[in-house]
Amino acid sequence: MTPELIGALSIAVLLALLALGVPIAAVLGLVGFTGLALLTSIEAATIKAGVVGWETISRYELGVLPLFLLMAHLCFTAGASRDFFDAAAKLLGHRRGGLATASIAGCAGFGAISGSSLATAATVGLVALPEMRKRGYAPSLSTGSIAAGGTLGSLIPPSGALIVYGMIAEQPISKLFAAALVPVATQALLYIAVIILLCRRNPALGPVSERVPWRERFASLGRIADIAVLIVLVIGGLTVGWFTPTEAASIGSVLAMLLCARRGKLTIPALRRALAETLRTAGVIYAIIIGAIVFSVFLGATGLASHLTALVIDANLDAKAAAAVIVVVLLLLGSVLDGMALMLLTVPIFLPMMVGLGMSPIWFGIFVVRTIELGLVHPPLGMNVYIIQGIAKDVPLGTIFRGVLPFLAADMLHIALLILVPATALWLPGVLA
Amino acid sequence: MSLPPPDDFGEERAPQPLPTGLTGVAVALGSVALLVAMATDALAVLGRHFGFPLLGALELVQASVSVAGACAIVCASAAGAHAVIHAVLDRVSPASRAVLAPAGQLLGAAFFLVLAVGCGWIAWDLRAAAEATDLLGIPLAPLRLFATFALIFTATLFVRTAARRA
Amino acid sequence: PDAPTVLRYATPYTAGHPLSRADQQWIAHVERISGGRLRIQPSWAGGLISSEHNLVELRHGVVDVATISPIYTRGGTHAIRLQAGFYGGEQSIDDQVAVYRCLQASFPRLGQELAGLVPMEVQGGNVLGIVTRTRPVRRLEDLRGLRLRVPGELVPLLRRLGADPLDMPMADVYPAMAKGVIDGVVAPADTLKALHFAEVARFYNQLRIARGAYPARAISEDSLRRLPPDLERLLLDSRIVWERAVASEFKQAEQVGIDYARGLGMTFVQPDPVAQQRLDALYLAEAAQAAANADHGLPGQAMLRVAQDTLRRLRSGSRPPCAGPAL
Ligand code: NA
Ligand code: NA
Repeated sequence: MTPELIGALSIAVLLALLALGVPIAAVLGLVGFTGLALLTSIEAATIKAGVVGWETISRYELGVLPLFLLMAHLCFTAGASRDFFDAAAKLLGHRRGGLATASIAGCAGFGAISGSSLATAATVGLVALPEMRKRGYAPSLSTGSIAAGGTLGSLIPPSGALIVYGMIAEQPISKLFAAALVPVATQALLYIAVIILLCRRNPALGPVSERVPWRERFASLGRIADIAVLIVLVIGGLTVGWFTPTEAASIGSVLAMLLCARRGKLTIPALRRALAETLRTAGVIYAIIIGAIVFSVFLGATGLASHLTALVIDANLDAKAAAAVIVVVLLLLGSVLDGMALMLLTVPIFLPMMVGLGMSPIWFGIFVVRTIELGLVHPPLGMNVYIIQGIAKDVPLGTIFRGVLPFLAADMLHIALLILVPATALWLPGVLA
Repeated sequence: MSLPPPDDFGEERAPQPLPTGLTGVAVALGSVALLVAMATDALAVLGRHFGFPLLGALELVQASVSVAGACAIVCASAAGAHAVIHAVLDRVSPASRAVLAPAGQLLGAAFFLVLAVGCGWIAWDLRAAAEATDLLGIPLAPLRLFATFALIFTATLFVRTAARRA
Repeated sequence: PDAPTVLRYATPYTAGHPLSRADQQWIAHVERISGGRLRIQPSWAGGLISSEHNLVELRHGVVDVATISPIYTRGGTHAIRLQAGFYGGEQSIDDQVAVYRCLQASFPRLGQELAGLVPMEVQGGNVLGIVTRTRPVRRLEDLRGLRLRVPGELVPLLRRLGADPLDMPMADVYPAMAKGVIDGVVAPADTLKALHFAEVARFYNQLRIARGAYPARAISEDSLRRLPPDLERLLLDSRIVWERAVASEFKQAEQVGIDYARGLGMTFVQPDPVAQQRLDALYLAEAAQAAANADHGLPGQAMLRVAQDTLRRLRSGSRPPCAGPAL
């Protein structure tokens, strides 16, 4: 068997095992392990799995994930998330899908703290899902909007993905950050448009509450003043350089703990519960990440990705057609590889080709990060969707993927816009230069 | 983690008993580790601004999150919280389910066992390496062993669930 | 003819990285010289080899040949790490590699730490300078109070100079400098472009901080022994090609970094000569102390003597035989 054939077969086995109800992390990890053992040896595959497992839980960069989750659970303990959505309900609840819109805004806000889609989806999901459910939102709309909204986190600066791209492509990171702003704003607006359209067609998806008088709205805003201070301190501290993005998780947790104390909710049992739930959520996410990386390492070793990219290069297309084909290739690979691996594998190959066709490397960075992050939500595999499923366990995966579909349609529209009007990315850095 | 039923939320939720036994130990250790990581990172930031730099804070955070991470995997598995696709499982006959459900759990056990063997093998390889962090000299061998035992324990949790569902 | 023997090579760097370009030169050389009997299948940045556990992975056959980083491994490579601080006075990558070769010839411990592996390339690096955001460093006093990200082994030296050294992940350095979380970073000039430091800092201070060499590519012994004797020989002979390719790519990357930074208007600061002398003396004093305090049963002082002796002989123009061919 050639490595490429092993790679193709493994994907079929992967899908079958997933459908049969084997835990997602175990499917990814075991198929990756078996494939790697076929390509190398059982000994080598075992060692590699051990390395991936250990590095995932011990790396500082990933270690901040549970701290972000702790922040979310502490906000929950403080009743802050309830108050936040109460305020959102009073302000927007009389509009269709108002809370889903508030969640998109929450994702954008959290995305400005965190560099990662996963952390964004997990944290905002923890806070927002129960609140939307309490107010009668359909699970498909609530989970779908957060899975999609989470992808905002990887484009809004600080963006881990853009930093890595800048290093591979040798492009100024400040320019990439500036270039991301207009696309990310249009992306968020498109998501909000999707929510409004969905709720107009089927009002039962996001029930409307009664319009409340302004006095009550202000009162609800008053109750979240301390939350607003927390958010301003974290984002502000990052902006003026009091701490780094990775340190923001700890600072945020400490502030959330102070919030609990201020509201008289910081009891030992409450703290223990918040910590236990943080660990449980983090364990689900770690297991999926470990499985996904083992699988990704194996697929990288099969050379499947380089084959697909070679096909594109051989086709000799013009810039826009080539971009469209790259979208298809990235979406195909994105259904089986994790985002970082995908970027490391394909950018060095596609970038020179697109630059040769006259496209700007800054534009390509936004385009490629934008497209790769779609892989986090599209079926059959999507890390954000798995994470949301880990949080909202009783919502079937099919429902979440169905909920994501309308957002995916918006994503495709957005990417088409990015390809046809490169100025959406290039205008702002040009103005700032 | 499951969502609470729609009428029962957040701090109003009926308190569930915290896990006991080895899982309880994992929860306690993981909680302490999380708090240590959080406090260390936050103190390092404060120290930087108020002139008492805590060199090596990053190493302590790293060591703590590795303990927290290992405990997290135990906690998630003890709670049966791992993400699963139910589409087919919910539609097959009870007889088929009686085969599929435990089989899935056994594969879960196999996955964590592979991780445990790999992790333990590396620890064994490095047993004489005196592996320690640069600035604080925190030894890594105990941390690797801890992760290995946590993963082995996780595998037994899956086997136990499989036996219960068979 | 028989199908070619395939060796799998993995590196954490992407295909376009200067180090990977050197790898490609080596691959092309080996495949050509073997007349097609040897094929190297590279894996760039695919995560096949870890940047932290590469020694263990290579020993267990995850791949046949790999980029290794014994200098960043936190256990089992104490001698290789210790000797990296003994290069005070080196003037070039050639110096660095020569010193390592001589140390390797005198101290079997360096080889034992890589048991199961055969080094394929000894690698030095571009000299370290100090990147600072807002103020130049001409005298050592200018370092006082500067919050600098430095490699772990330089922490004692920088502390002695009154700086405020700290450790943070390399990926955090750019945003930290952009926001003023730190005042600068100790790094070679190639990072001005590769890691974009020139975008967020105004000064590159050319106070030279010496850099050590270490084995950075290796083949697993099992994979090497499985080859027919002539191919084994061919691989061992190809080591110098790899070393030269890496050194020349480093030099190019350094120039690219400098040109890029100049284009952005970065100021290159020449240090006061007295400051450089004092820094070199302090560096050697630190080395002497590290050598005297060496644990794990390492002959620290003897190693320091051999390193400095080799450098002295290179300076006086009498290249010792242990230094091997020049790069
Ligand atoms: Na972000
Ligand atoms: Na996907």
